[in-house]
Amino acid sequence: MSEPILISGAGIVSAIGVGKEPTLKSLLSQSSGIGDVKYLQTAHDEFPVGEVKLSDGEMMSMLGLPQDSTQIRTSLMGMIALKEALQEAGINSDLIGSTGFISGTTVGGMDKSEQYYLDFLDNDRHNEYIATHDCGACTEMIADHFGRFAWLSTISTACSSAANAIVAAANLIKAGEADIVVAGGCECLSKFHLNGFNSLMILDTAPCRPFDATRRGLNLGEGAAYMVLESAASVKRRGIVPLASLWGYGNACDAFHQTASSPDGTGAYKAMAKALEMGGVVPSGIDYINAHGTGTENNDLSESQAIIRLFGDCVPPISSTKSFTGHTTSASGAIEAVICILALQHQFLPVNLNWKEPMENGIKPVTDMKSPRPINMALCNSFGFGGNDTSLLLSRV
Amino acid sequence: MEELILNLKKEIIDVLNLEDVKPEDIDNDAPLFGEGLGLDSIDALELIVLMEKNYGIKLQDAAKGKEIFKSLNTMADYIAKNRKK
Amino acid sequence: MKVFPYIKAVSQISIQEPLTDVWMESPHWYDANFVRSIDPDFKPFVPAAQGRRMGKLLKRALTTSLSVIRESGIACPDAIMMGTGLGCIESTERFLESLCRDGEQLLKPTHFMQSTHNTVASLIGIQTGNTGYNITYSHKGISVDCALHDALVQFKLGMIGSALVGGNDEVSPSYFTLLKKIGFVGQDSEVCGEASVAMMLSNEQENALCQVKGVKVLYRPDVCRLQSALSQMLSEADTSLGGIDAVMTGISGNRLNDKYYYDLLPELLPGVPVLHYKHIFGESYSASGLGVYATVRCLQHGFIPQSLVLEQPTCSVPAPNRILLLNIADGKDYSFILLEKICGK
Repeated sequence: MSEPILISGAGIVSAIGVGKEPTLKSLLSQSSGIGDVKYLQTAHDEFPVGEVKLSDGEMMSMLGLPQDSTQIRTSLMGMIALKEALQEAGINSDLIGSTGFISGTTVGGMDKSEQYYLDFLDNDRHNEYIATHDCGACTEMIADHFGRFAWLSTISTACSSAANAIVAAANLIKAGEADIVVAGGCECLSKFHLNGFNSLMILDTAPCRPFDATRRGLNLGEGAAYMVLESAASVKRRGIVPLASLWGYGNACDAFHQTASSPDGTGAYKAMAKALEMGGVVPSGIDYINAHGTGTENNDLSESQAIIRLFGDCVPPISSTKSFTGHTTSASGAIEAVICILALQHQFLPVNLNWKEPMENGIKPVTDMKSPRPINMALCNSFGFGGNDTSLLLSRV
Repeated sequence: MEELILNLKKEIIDVLNLEDVKPEDIDNDAPLFGEGLGLDSIDALELIVLMEKNYGIKLQDAAKGKEIFKSLNTMADYIAKNRKK
Repeated sequence: MKVFPYIKAVSQISIQEPLTDVWMESPHWYDANFVRSIDPDFKPFVPAAQGRRMGKLLKRALTTSLSVIRESGIACPDAIMMGTGLGCIESTERFLESLCRDGEQLLKPTHFMQSTHNTVASLIGIQTGNTGYNITYSHKGISVDCALHDALVQFKLGMIGSALVGGNDEVSPSYFTLLKKIGFVGQDSEVCGEASVAMMLSNEQENALCQVKGVKVLYRPDVCRLQSALSQMLSEADTSLGGIDAVMTGISGNRLNDKYYYDLLPELLPGVPVLHYKHIFGESYSASGLGVYATVRCLQHGFIPQSLVLEQPTCSVPAPNRILLLNIADGKDYSFILLEKICGK
């Protein structure tokens, strides 16, 4: 086992709060952020969503940006989360120059593209948003708000994008290519992916019920989260108290289907097994799993099979916090990793809301926040379309 | 009914990009999924869109598709009974 | 421990003849701002039944990937690492246009499914039954460079022994129009093309074409930072500025972006012969992958085709040992890639 990577700061924005404090409060009071659509202009008001409770304008004000600036919602949420992470880790403008930034996103500037696409084609009224469409542009807009990072990169593996950004960052630090890398992801709700998921018929018209026998699909969410990953030597040198450490991680491909997970959860199993192997941890050493748990028929069954196969008789407490935030897609890996960090720091089990009836051949998620034992190791799963499966192993420090 | 079946075959070939398949190649009773035409879950979703677009039939539950899309005959039957246009 | 991977096979589909090196002798010349790729016969790589749902980009990606898998004999590499700036933009546009024109109904799931950027890498995983590490980078014009960097890091850490690395971008006529509007492509004498590149990396030298000795990515660097990043990369590769026989640049004919190269080169790499490839292969978000491809061929065959030398006075470069790729995207994202010929070849 190589030296673990330390996490010296974290920031989070989702339907259950802007910042770690309100997020913790919502998790402890078991109040979900999923509700009727308010900010997204869509005809599909039958689907509950996990919106960040701020308009674009309100976010611009929070960030001190002029109301008429060219911004996309994904980047605005990203900036707010990144700001919290950088502040906590004490990354000032001098240090940014030697810090790398990797962001995961898929939707990028789609909120503006879908608003102005016909203008792009027919006239020159909103050309400034052509340049903000792609994933890389989203990362650059976030980064530029804080100064000049040493280098940037963007990962897009659908719903595991943020988790894979964290993996890539850790590898770079281990290889000695960087001391500090900030990684995570961001994604706003858009008509594009609300309608996309609807075309796949996997959206629930009621609040999602991960791992429940009556589950009917997912609720989309939005948000952003970043963490500052740092080598042990750098943390020591800077005199920072880390929040947690990244003990292991695994990325594997399910190699089954472009949208469906394999019945036995091959990719999920491999990703989790790799993470445990890297961390030198046996299955009984895991105290909590934050599942991908989207609430779809297919994912929850497939993920259950993978977990049962890997953990056998010692399946740890499991929950899907998507019942709080909705499925924040590209951001979910980082949002849920930060939730794991909160669980490790404050020693509680985030519960799985809306769970009543056990599903056939499925795992039973936790509904009680009290853990039977100290929470030292948490596993966080993120699975993307195409079977891009990633698992992060986080440890208490 | 025969006209509906022929049209349906043409529409399926077109929407699912079945380049090398001709309408007469599709056996009315053969399974559309698995063996037979070898369609999958995404194709089923495309067929649901096709039914809504061309015949005004809105299917809320993807699972229902399994019965309806058993074969071309079952699909045509369902459309004949439920079509709005 | 220093571990530098070898490139065992490369393949391309672009605006030059696909899947061959004919361009080295007789390239196609274009007098247009936008040219689409020349597609090969996909049948030997993509059977019709499997390909019926795939757009052009997926077919091209699968074809270049399978050809390097076959050529290298590495059927199941430890990792699949792809870069793409825009993903399957044609599928994205079809979904988007239908959404904007016809409203939020009757949208096609296939177009949505293929609009995610990781479609290519995951499809290659699915088609080849590869359950290893699978990643997609999507960062403008350095997407492929980031994928290659990831590979190098994992070779160094001993996490992988082989990797399929590539880049894929398509450009639709409508999206070309949009990108041209904002000055991203097709400016001045620049040719906007499309690119699909695949390369197989391995830690085994046998039958290798060349070796990757370093990758660095930088954001908005000043000359000082570029100099120190370059000298660090060269020293890790046990060489120095004097060891670089030529610099393969992304100069494309787009005056605004080319200026960054012309301002930097005399200061960063004085006297080093300058090569071009984008006047032959075109500009796109994955064009830097074609730059790597062209450089691999130069090192493998031990000569630089005259068509790559545009700078005056012409410096002749007999049998290059080491070529540095310099990529500047939009004046913001920079990358260095160092390739070296196989010793004793």
